[in-house]
Amino acid sequence: MQNRKNIFLTIYTIIFYIYIFAPIFLIFIFAWNKAEGYNFPLQGFTWEWFTKFFQDMNALKAIKNSIIIALTSATISTLLGASLTIGIIKSVKRHKTFLLTLLLLPVLMPSLTIGISSLVFFRTLNIPLGIPVVIISHVSISISYVFLIMMGRIEGIDLEIQEAALDLGANWFESLKDVVFPVILPAVLAGWLFSFMISWNEFIVTYFLIGPELTLPIYIFSQLRFGISPKVNVISVFITFFTIFIILLITATQTIYKKLRVRTINHFGNINN
Amino acid sequence: MKLAIVLIKFNNYIHNLIVIFTKSNINVILYYMSFISKYNKKIIYPALIWFIVFFIFPLFIIFIYSFATNYLFSKELHFTLKNFLLIFQKKHYLIILGRSIKISVITTIFSIFFSYPIAYFLAKKTKFDKILIVTLMIPFWINYLIRIFAWKLLLSENGILNQILLSLNIIDKPLKVLYSQTAVILGLIYTYTPMMVLPLYATISKIDNTLIEAARDLGASRVRAFFDITFKLSLTGIFAGTLLVFIPALGSFAIPAILGGTDSVMIGNIIENQFLHVGNWNFGSAFTLALAGLSIALILFYSKLFGLESIYKNREF
Repeated sequence: MQNRKNIFLTIYTIIFYIYIFAPIFLIFIFAWNKAEGYNFPLQGFTWEWFTKFFQDMNALKAIKNSIIIALTSATISTLLGASLTIGIIKSVKRHKTFLLTLLLLPVLMPSLTIGISSLVFFRTLNIPLGIPVVIISHVSISISYVFLIMMGRIEGIDLEIQEAALDLGANWFESLKDVVFPVILPAVLAGWLFSFMISWNEFIVTYFLIGPELTLPIYIFSQLRFGISPKVNVISVFITFFTIFIILLITATQTIYKKLRVRTINHFGNINN
Repeated sequence: MKLAIVLIKFNNYIHNLIVIFTKSNINVILYYMSFISKYNKKIIYPALIWFIVFFIFPLFIIFIYSFATNYLFSKELHFTLKNFLLIFQKKHYLIILGRSIKISVITTIFSIFFSYPIAYFLAKKTKFDKILIVTLMIPFWINYLIRIFAWKLLLSENGILNQILLSLNIIDKPLKVLYSQTAVILGLIYTYTPMMVLPLYATISKIDNTLIEAARDLGASRVRAFFDITFKLSLTGIFAGTLLVFIPALGSFAIPAILGGTDSVMIGNIIENQFLHVGNWNFGSAFTLALAGLSIALILFYSKLFGLESIYKNREF
């Protein structure tokens, strides 16, 4: 009986993954295809689109801008979100519900609202649109998500260790930096990663605020609007391989780190014996 | 940076002073603790200030715009309800509001149904859950625009879907799926279902298996145990996933623009049109506020429906 249910779920999972990856397969196939459309039969193998991609200054600049924006907004929003989380957990007693509701508002609204309000705000104050403005808006969205994620992860952790560190002689800054921060580091990293993902994928807000500059989603949108360009397929291939590479890198680092720890503990364990 | 150094030195000084006195004076300990508490309170200020300046204040500005008729610093600025009334006067806009809600609700429901088995399988039934979750996220890094465009070509009349169905003789003529509400719904489901899997997986994996075993021991059938225990405990995850699916779907305009036709114009398209092509910022602001209000109201209603207000109301942190 158990096996029967498992088989059903397994098949469903396989079909689901095929469904998710189907467009990706298509994109991969047509990145090397000679013809420009997505039509079968295939016209032959070519690296043409790859060379065209590396010669396209706009595409490369768009990727660079997207990375800069995502890195900056992820870092800023993680800093702000982490300090917000710790501060709220440790010291906010009155008006907590009101504050939480306020902070959850960006999550409850479509990013379109934030994009429009930011557009109106910056144009009314005559601040020029461009990358800094986009970063600011991405941070505004991400702070709430970072806060939510960190709240979810920190709940099980007892933050009284800060008081303990203070009792043992640390000053306030040290108590946070050396004691609390390493404990909440996984939550901080999760928040940073989520924030990076939000910014990297965020098209709507960027669309309204980017002005004359290019980021990857904007570049893709313009390419797709005015016709098919296989260069977007090439971009997708690179992104996929890069993501897989990063995942393998992180997994390898974790494995090596764990093995080193075990070896060190064993080593020193033997000395103590 | 200098300010931070000064603050730290000051804190050190105070700290040293207090350590001398702390050993014998409980009142100073309490004072010290409240001192620390004040510092802890202070670190929320940067985020709060950012939040107020770059989120609350812009909302306030479009609030003003939506009640006005002209630009903010122009001479002929007067209060008017015309913008909001326009939404209700023209049936066109009400239809679009209703249609957007309908599309988003359908998308969310299908998302829940599609993602629940996956989340359940990954959380409970397999050892490879971490690898599979990570694999699921890989397509997410390729911008959804590209994947939606691949869908566009998949669904078009010469597209692969039609080619397969035709060659298998399931249909006689190519299906006109593209440029319809169905295509938009399909695109939205495709884009946002992975977002539903994550919170569901997180919630389901926290469910203690012993609870289910206890239910089975007390005589519940597998189905009953599932609905009474697993499903009820996963409602939090469903709620979180709904936030990540319903709200972006409600405000989307790129997917309706790419996959939809004239019968699938959504709120986002109207707003984009007003701000970037028509130039009527007043009406656009009113409509944006309507979208925001609608979104918040629907989520609050939805959470009351499931009795989930406790999630954000009185949590003990």
